[in-house]
Amino acid sequence: MTLVGVAVGAALAVIAVFIPWLPDAASEQAGIVDSVYWVVTIICVVVFAVVAGVSAYAVYKFRAPPGDSDDGSPIHGHTGLEIVWTLIPTILVTGIAVYSGVALAQAEDLPADHRTVEVTSEQFAWTFTYPDIEVEGGKPLTTGELVLPVDQAVQFEITSKDVLHSFWVPEWRMKQDAVKGITTRTTVTPTKLGTFPVICTELCGLGHAIMRSQARILSPNEFEAWVEEQRRLAREGGAVQGADLFAAQCGSCHVLADAGTLGQVGPNLDEVLQGADAEFIMESIVDPSAQIAEGYQDGVMPSNYGEIFTEPQLEGLVEYLLEATGGGAR
Amino acid sequence: MAVDVHAPQAAEREAPHGPAPRKGLKRLTGAGWLRALWFIPLAWVLATLLVIGSRSALGYEPLWELQVLIVAWTVIVPLAFLAGLGGFDYWLYWISGRPTRPEDHSGHGARTWKDYFRVNTDHKVIGVQYLVTTIVFFVAAGLLAMFMRAELAQPGMQYVDTNTFNGLFSMHASLMIFLFIIPAFAGLGNYVIPLMIGAPDMAFPRLNALSFWLLPIAGLIMLSSYLVPEGGAFAAGWTNYVPLAVNQADGNLMFQMGVQWAGASSIMTALNFLVTIITMRAPGMTFWRMPLLVWANFATSTLVVLATPFVAGSQFFIMFDRVLHTNFFNPELGGDIIAYQHIFWFYSHPAVYIMMLPGFGIASEVISVFARKPVFGYRLMALSLMAILILGFSVWAHHMFVSGMQPWIRVPMMVTTLVIAVPTGIKVFSWLATLWEGRLHFKTPMLFALGFVSMFVIGGLSGIYLGSVPVDIHASDTYFVVAHIHYVLFGGSLFTIFAGIYYWFPKMTGRMYNEKLGKIHFWMTFVGFNVTFFPMHWVGLQGMPRRVADYAPEFGTWNLVISIASFALGASTIVFLYNMLVSWRRGPVAPANPWHALTLEWQVSSPPPIFNFDEIPQVVGSPYEYGTRGARHAILNGKPTETGRAPEPMEIIHS
Repeated sequence: MTLVGVAVGAALAVIAVFIPWLPDAASEQAGIVDSVYWVVTIICVVVFAVVAGVSAYAVYKFRAPPGDSDDGSPIHGHTGLEIVWTLIPTILVTGIAVYSGVALAQAEDLPADHRTVEVTSEQFAWTFTYPDIEVEGGKPLTTGELVLPVDQAVQFEITSKDVLHSFWVPEWRMKQDAVKGITTRTTVTPTKLGTFPVICTELCGLGHAIMRSQARILSPNEFEAWVEEQRRLAREGGAVQGADLFAAQCGSCHVLADAGTLGQVGPNLDEVLQGADAEFIMESIVDPSAQIAEGYQDGVMPSNYGEIFTEPQLEGLVEYLLEATGGGAR
Repeated sequence: MAVDVHAPQAAEREAPHGPAPRKGLKRLTGAGWLRALWFIPLAWVLATLLVIGSRSALGYEPLWELQVLIVAWTVIVPLAFLAGLGGFDYWLYWISGRPTRPEDHSGHGARTWKDYFRVNTDHKVIGVQYLVTTIVFFVAAGLLAMFMRAELAQPGMQYVDTNTFNGLFSMHASLMIFLFIIPAFAGLGNYVIPLMIGAPDMAFPRLNALSFWLLPIAGLIMLSSYLVPEGGAFAAGWTNYVPLAVNQADGNLMFQMGVQWAGASSIMTALNFLVTIITMRAPGMTFWRMPLLVWANFATSTLVVLATPFVAGSQFFIMFDRVLHTNFFNPELGGDIIAYQHIFWFYSHPAVYIMMLPGFGIASEVISVFARKPVFGYRLMALSLMAILILGFSVWAHHMFVSGMQPWIRVPMMVTTLVIAVPTGIKVFSWLATLWEGRLHFKTPMLFALGFVSMFVIGGLSGIYLGSVPVDIHASDTYFVVAHIHYVLFGGSLFTIFAGIYYWFPKMTGRMYNEKLGKIHFWMTFVGFNVTFFPMHWVGLQGMPRRVADYAPEFGTWNLVISIASFALGASTIVFLYNMLVSWRRGPVAPANPWHALTLEWQVSSPPPIFNFDEIPQVVGSPYEYGTRGARHAILNGKPTETGRAPEPMEIIHS
């Protein structure tokens, strides 16, 4: 019977392996985590199949006939069996524990040639600072989206300005809470090009669900070009840069016909900014709590744009928004 | 055993219930609802004056500080309510040297439905009070989940704003945990334990009554956070993590204070269970002859007594940070945010076992009776409960693998966490072995018990994933965790609560429930439950975080499926409630022992006599001797008791 259970379990395990349980694996750590995941899955599917098989067989085989008033066999126990089902799980969980411990050490191994990125979280935004990349005025490069070169290990130094947050990119498998007052660390080596979501997974208040950013992984050359572009943007402003900035930073939450963006979280800017002046637009960007559009909640839009954008960038953004919403014409 | 003191005379049982009703204005001063109703506003005014008076004396501005008032109200008003009902009368008379009313047992038993709304010291009445109250909160918490699933059926925001949504899941979890699962098991235990061990009542009947009445108070405090102006209900999750809990609107205090009352209720009941089980077992009832439900409640009560003070402390610290401006969790002034999580989980992980072990006990009773076989490996079953009790205190930090605590704690906590699978596995395999060569009767309690075994195995196995640090780093705080806790607390605790309610329904009400409706309830629950919660594993691993009001559009299809299934699951509760209500009023009259069980509670009438046993039972053997012809668990002089029957159909002579 147990053998049948194991056989059914093995068959189910094969099926389970073909279900794409996990998203794309896009980091070295993902490979390590996934291998533990699959080992655990195979063990668990077999164990479940044994339990389900024995129950199903018992339900079928030992069903009492209608009107039956007899008892079953007076079996009180079986020392041998009890030893077996104490020992086998002990061996299995010990194996899982050892394998997990080794995998954890591998996943957290930090190569010497790593890059450091500081991750600052707040209600409800992420800010990424590159301490070894300088821009205008000797300041470190600071952005609202995470951009990294492929195949280089990164140590994230994570902190929070207010409540708990948690930094997670599902495709990288690594996650780390952000705690005010301390710096927490996690290591990732991205191995795939592309764009991945950065998600907050620790309940942080009203805007928890929309506390997202993105991680863009570039080839080393593209990354160098991106850094140069950031340096240029930090120096200059202008409506053209404003349009790029809007598409990258604002469009996921706001509708703006000119940029073709469709975000539904915040107010429709074609409506609320119609005829607005530069002062109002600037205030709405750097201090979003000052005036709240009707039907929307305070405290959802991040208040850190004054920090992550340079002065020329902010001016460029305002200039672009004036143009796009027709306010500049008046 | 001083049981004879309680042995009722026939005349006493016929005596009119309670002291003669008071007349005229005296009705306002006698213990009861009338006195409680004017005590409440009086206490409210006094509490308000106390706060405003002391603030004005000290020169604090503003005088009307809602946070401080909430603390004063939620402490003083409930105490006044309890005093009004008469919860403290006996002790106050005793303390003040006035003559206490002699215990005439007039508070025992319930003759009309009104007796369930009084302070009653009969464990059977209290058990029913517990169960009905907790089912009310279960329905309320379930409706909150329905609202939540309605909002999550489609991406984007449709019906509520994000703050309301955060309140929905926080209230749902808090009510389900503190006002349903934990006290529902306490209610079942209250009813059944004294009967099972051959005792006339619990060790401390007045304390027992008081611990019940703390419960509706806790629930009403939590629910009334919806009435707090600005900010609405507490919305930091049932875990109430800081700093969010400290920063939140005043409604959050209602969680902190509600937990105190629910926790106090739990601790008092657990002490009562412990003393009852240790000192009031009938002659012959050695520890190794106790039914496993009694063992399970023995282990659970030990956990409650040791662990619950920690959650009380954690919520007091938050309250102090908010109201007294202490800095337990303020890192700028030396506080430690992660310390909260350690204190909280030092209770709340054992709390998982507080919510599981009584269910293990119920499953053992039900499976043994409906398989007509002794529980397989009885001693190892009892010992594995104790192993879980001990190990349960050494695993709390597995909730904190990504919290930023000292990294070295993770591996030892992973090892202890995974090792708990061993005693849990022993229990599951023993239940399966109990089925082997049995004669299975698929009554509703048995269906729920078997459903529990299979669903709990899934919950236990997904716990292995979360116990493994590397996998947990990915899966923590995602819908995978939501799936896991519902397989454990719904598939585990709730299925066994249903099994227990159906199993003891004839004993409690004296009537049979409708078997057909019971089976419909089971199948709707079983299917609805799996379609609701199984896809959450996948959704979570793919990247949907938990506690979100909105999600990436790619998860839209599965969330719609989950929502539709959850509505079917919700509808199954209507079948359950209908069955319970109608059967309680009009079901066929139940025999003393409809299941032909050997344990003591089935050897007395349904419902049992006021003092349970007309004379002390003598326990002579194991509670599970099915299959041994003539074997008895106990002898009640002059009354027939159930015996084991022949294992083979040929041997029986049908008369």
